[in-house]
Amino acid sequence: MPLVYDELRRIAARYMGRERPGQTLDATGLVNEAFVRLAAERTREFENRTHFLAIAALSMRQILVQRARAKRAVKRDAGGHQVTLNDVSAPPSAVRAGFGRADPDRPGDVDVLGLDAALTRLAAFDPEQAQIVELRYFGGLTVEETAEAVGVSPATVKRQWAMARAWLKQALEGA
Amino acid sequence: MTPQRWSQIKGVFNGALERPAGERSAWLRSECGSDAALLAAAEQLLHSHDTLGGFLERPLEVDPEDLALASAPDAVDESAIWHTGDRVGEFEIIRQIGRGGMGVVYLATDRRLHRNVALKSLPSALANNTDLRERLKREARAAATITDSAVATVYSLEEVEGHLLLASEFIDGSTLRAVMDNGPMEVATVHAAALQIAQGLRAAHEAGVVHRDLKPENILLPPGGAKIVDFGIAWLDGPGLSRHTKLTRAGAMIGTPAYMAPEQLMGQQVDARTDIYAFGVLLAEMLSGRHPLSVSDAAPVERERSPEHEVLAGLLQRVADHCRQTAPAQRVQSARELVAMLEGLAGAADGSAPAVPRSATTARRRSRFWWEFHQAAAAVSYGAMLVPAWLARGEIGSIEGRGFFIATTCAAVVAAMLRLHLWFTSREHPADLVWARRRSAPWIRLADVLLVVSLVIGAGLVAAQSALDIVLLVLAVGAAVAFIVIEPSTARAAGLDDRRPS
Repeated sequence: MPLVYDELRRIAARYMGRERPGQTLDATGLVNEAFVRLAAERTREFENRTHFLAIAALSMRQILVQRARAKRAVKRDAGGHQVTLNDVSAPPSAVRAGFGRADPDRPGDVDVLGLDAALTRLAAFDPEQAQIVELRYFGGLTVEETAEAVGVSPATVKRQWAMARAWLKQALEGA
Repeated sequence: MTPQRWSQIKGVFNGALERPAGERSAWLRSECGSDAALLAAAEQLLHSHDTLGGFLERPLEVDPEDLALASAPDAVDESAIWHTGDRVGEFEIIRQIGRGGMGVVYLATDRRLHRNVALKSLPSALANNTDLRERLKREARAAATITDSAVATVYSLEEVEGHLLLASEFIDGSTLRAVMDNGPMEVATVHAAALQIAQGLRAAHEAGVVHRDLKPENILLPPGGAKIVDFGIAWLDGPGLSRHTKLTRAGAMIGTPAYMAPEQLMGQQVDARTDIYAFGVLLAEMLSGRHPLSVSDAAPVERERSPEHEVLAGLLQRVADHCRQTAPAQRVQSARELVAMLEGLAGAADGSAPAVPRSATTARRRSRFWWEFHQAAAAVSYGAMLVPAWLARGEIGSIEGRGFFIATTCAAVVAAMLRLHLWFTSREHPADLVWARRRSAPWIRLADVLLVVSLVIGAGLVAAQSALDIVLLVLAVGAAVAFIVIEPSTARAAGLDDRRPS
């Protein structure tokens, strides 16, 4: 899958060489940087910015889920044990925060695989809420941008977003 | 959780949030009545909502390394990997020919019918999911009814030893992706391939099948043709989505983001026009050798093109643009329309596009001539009508005469100008013709009707004074016959109209 996907990875690769190890990038900045870079080259193609942001959000989700899976597989092959949310025996340093296991010291971190699976379940009965979470969380879109991308009012986005977060939290906690 | 139940919960959840915290539980209890499960679900959600903290509040933060190192996704069901000579049900594996996100594709022999087939192993998870399996059967059945030389024929869907196998026509050719990777394509080749793909889409859409994941990997180019593969099962696929995810998310979001239309990306209603969008991206990519949204540090390889090819490339680019509109209603509306547009371009590549099937397009060009002739002739005769209208004005006299003349002139001028515009577009910008017709059709219709009405009224007004009423009536009838009968039939003959004579 070319373009957005590749562009996101290219930007990340550049940051890798530059930033201190362990420094993270936030989705909003990444996605917008990709947009600006792509738009600068092909201005006409990006009249619809929300279309682009939606692609970017989906790409981010796909890349990160895939990456988390690969990491987990590597760990398994290396004789480590499969890390799950409930697996308290794994030392926090075993997996980078955000992948395979949420780091309790960083409340903003979420287990990507768990979230992906929960989102997939959510999409089965409320595709709009799942879409909103994808755009907001993986794409870093604002409420207004999300509203435009989904085609509903900002107020609806806020309502749906609040409920989706509540449900996802419950789902991830295994309630 | 069913969507119905979910929307019930949503109702009380949102309702409770609108009330002050102290009144919520009382309100909830009265709202849910005897439905204890609903009450419990809503209370749990509200509790979760109140203790959200920073959960998901800030967008994801990524380690650049994770983003940069992500590799091509997707593992394959290892138990469905066979080797040359293996027997799978009635099939004998000859060799592996491809490997996709969904499974492995083999060249195999069907020992009952002694023919070679492309055998695709589908995820075994499908066999356990009744809904998906039923949907797959339905779609495969529909896809099997498509008969077009540009669509790989679906033979059968079989279940062997717990594996779901889709047997379809074996096509010996490279994928369009592989061809494009080898450098820019000849314009004439692009045109020929685009036309065939459009014809394949037309056949599929008329059979009620939408592809949903049209992309260069799903187009094969055997010698002298183009074939679309994966009709009926494309909805299962989508790079980057895991096998599990793909299957459970099948209804919500499938396809390859790079070729997905905005509505598909947003999880909204998908129809034939979604394929038209993907086709537009494909066509643009074939023309330039790169995806229209892509960037690359290397300058695109510019291919030397003859002047005629330059013209044809420009026209094809226009067609691609018409397909790639964000709003479905703004796009080319059907594959049939698309085929007509592409066939209309054949003239631009005269003598240089050997791969385009000539017979059909030559006939179309001849019919296009009559349609153009009709447009030009109608425009000229509308102009000529102003003479009797002027004479009648003198006979009627006073205000009515002036009014009659002005109305007739306006209608005639508008109708004539728009027709000349279509005539000119057809001759100079054939790629835009379908477009221009759709835009101007309602105005031409309105002007025509106005003209006929005004001529009839004029005939009535002048009847007392002179025999001119006969002339005006004859003109009105002539104009009516021309636009009700003759014009639609020339348009149909030129392949510009979908309506068949009933």
